[in-house]
Amino acid sequence: MPSTIIPFGPQHPTFLEPLNLRLRIEEERVVGADINIGYNHRGMEYALAQDFRRSFFLSERVCGICSFHHGVCYAQAMEDVYKIEVPLRAKLVRTIFMECQRLTSHLLAVGHIAETMGYEALFMKLFKEREQVMQLVNRVTGNRVHYSLNTVGGLRKDITYEQAKDVEDTITALEPQLLDIQKIVHTDRTFRKRLHGVGVLSKAMAETYCVVGPTARGSGLPHDIRLTGFAAYGVEGMKFEPCYYEEGDCHARTKVRIDECVQSADLIFQALELLRDGPFVNAVKTLPPSGEGWSRVEAPRGELFYHIRAQGAVSLDRVKIKTPAFVNIPAVAAMMGGAMVHDVAVIVVSVDPCICCTDR
Amino acid sequence: MMSMLSSVFRSLFSRPDTVQYPAGPSTVPLGNRGKVVWDMEKCIYCRLCERNCPTKAIGTDKVGKTQSIARLRCIQCRTCVDICPTNAISMLTEHTKPSPHKEVHVYGKEMKQFEYRVERMGDWPPAKQEGKKLAAVEIKAEENGPA
Repeated sequence: MPSTIIPFGPQHPTFLEPLNLRLRIEEERVVGADINIGYNHRGMEYALAQDFRRSFFLSERVCGICSFHHGVCYAQAMEDVYKIEVPLRAKLVRTIFMECQRLTSHLLAVGHIAETMGYEALFMKLFKEREQVMQLVNRVTGNRVHYSLNTVGGLRKDITYEQAKDVEDTITALEPQLLDIQKIVHTDRTFRKRLHGVGVLSKAMAETYCVVGPTARGSGLPHDIRLTGFAAYGVEGMKFEPCYYEEGDCHARTKVRIDECVQSADLIFQALELLRDGPFVNAVKTLPPSGEGWSRVEAPRGELFYHIRAQGAVSLDRVKIKTPAFVNIPAVAAMMGGAMVHDVAVIVVSVDPCICCTDR
Repeated sequence: MMSMLSSVFRSLFSRPDTVQYPAGPSTVPLGNRGKVVWDMEKCIYCRLCERNCPTKAIGTDKVGKTQSIARLRCIQCRTCVDICPTNAISMLTEHTKPSPHKEVHVYGKEMKQFEYRVERMGDWPPAKQEGKKLAAVEIKAEENGPA
C-alpha cells in the first residue's frame, strides 16, 4: 500500500504554538512522522549574551510557562561563574515558587490534554484551580507569569510573613481539589479509555531518545534533577520520591503530571516549614570574572540546563540553553509508530511540547 | 466517572468563578506590578532609572526637566522603583490603558502628581538609512538637541 504524506501544523487547533509534523499514513494508520521545528526562533542565546545585567529579565522570557525555572537556572549558572553561595532563605523561596510554577504548568498540561480529547468539563475544572495559583503568585510577586523575583546571588525582594502565610493558606485550600482531580485522572472511564495504550514509548526507547521529565517518568525511568539537590531540594527536611509509571503511554504521562501536582503542594509545605528569617541576598557588585558556570534545574517538562562562559566584561562570551522540550519532541516520532490519525494530537500534547523553549 | 459527576454537580450549584470584567471590577490584587509613574516634585534627574532600565524604556531630560517612558517597552520589572534615591517613582496596580498607537508618556516638572503628556513613538522598526535611532533615544535627542 502506498503511503500518503499529510502535514499536521504548524497552525493547528490543537497546538498552542507552531510545530509541523509530516505524517506518513497508510489508510488511517500513521507509519512515520517527520518533525519540523524552528517557527519560533528568536535568537535568545545570542541576545542573552549581550549584557549580563539585563539578561536575567530576558531569561525569564524564553518561555511563558516555565519562566521562573529559566530565571533560577540563569541565576544559578551566574552564581557558579561568580563562585558565590546563596543564602538558605533565598533557596527556599526559589523552591517554593518553582513548585508554584510547576503546579500552574502541570495543570495547564493536563488541561490541554483534556481539551484535546474533548473533555471540556475537566479542562474548565483544571483551569479554575490553576487560576488560584496564578492569583496567588500575582499577589505575592506582583505578576502572574514573570515573577522577576530572582537576581544573581539571591532574591530581589524578600517575601513577608503575611505572604508566606498567604501561600500556605491558598495551597492548603487547593490541596483537596488537587486530590479530587488526581482521582479523576486515575480512575475516570473517559480518560482511561481514550489514553490507555496510546502513544506507547517503551523504557528502552525512552533511554535511546534520552527523554527527560514526566515523559521519562511515564516510561518507567525515575529520572528527576531535583534528586541532585539544587536550590533547597537537598536541604535536610525536604523529602520526596519521584513519581513514575511503567506503562509509557499517554495516560501514564498524564498520571505522572497530576501526581506531581500533589507532590508540589507537599514540597511547598515542607519548604515553608523550613523558612526562617535571615539574609536573602548575597549581592554581587563586580563584573562577572572570566570563567565558566553551569546549572541544572528540573523544569516542569524535565531537565533544563544553562551553560554560561563569561569573559570579565558586561557581555558574556556564550550562553547555551538546553531545554527539556527540545529533547522530548523527537521522541514523538517514536510514539507515532502504528498510531491512528485521530491519536496524533493527543500523543503530541501528552509530551507537553513547549515550542518557545525548543526554538529559543 | 462518579468523581467527575460529583464535581460537575458541585459546580452547577455554586457561584460562577469567572468575573464579568469590563462590566464589573477585575481581580487585580494589591501587589500587582501595573505601571510606573513619576512624582516630578521629588525627581532630581540623577538618571539612575534611565541607566538601570533593562529594556531602555526610560528617557531622562535634565535640561527640559522631563521623564519619558515608552509604555510598550516597559516590562514592569520594578527596577526603577527600587533604585530611585528620592522615591519619585511608584508602581501602580492598574495597567496602562490600551491604545491604537505606540505611546510614550512624558512627565514634566509643571504637571500635577502622576500626570503625563502622551506622545507617539516613532515609526517601528526605525528606518536606519535616515540615521534614526531607537524610539526612546530618538525622543531624547529631539528634546536635548544635538549632543
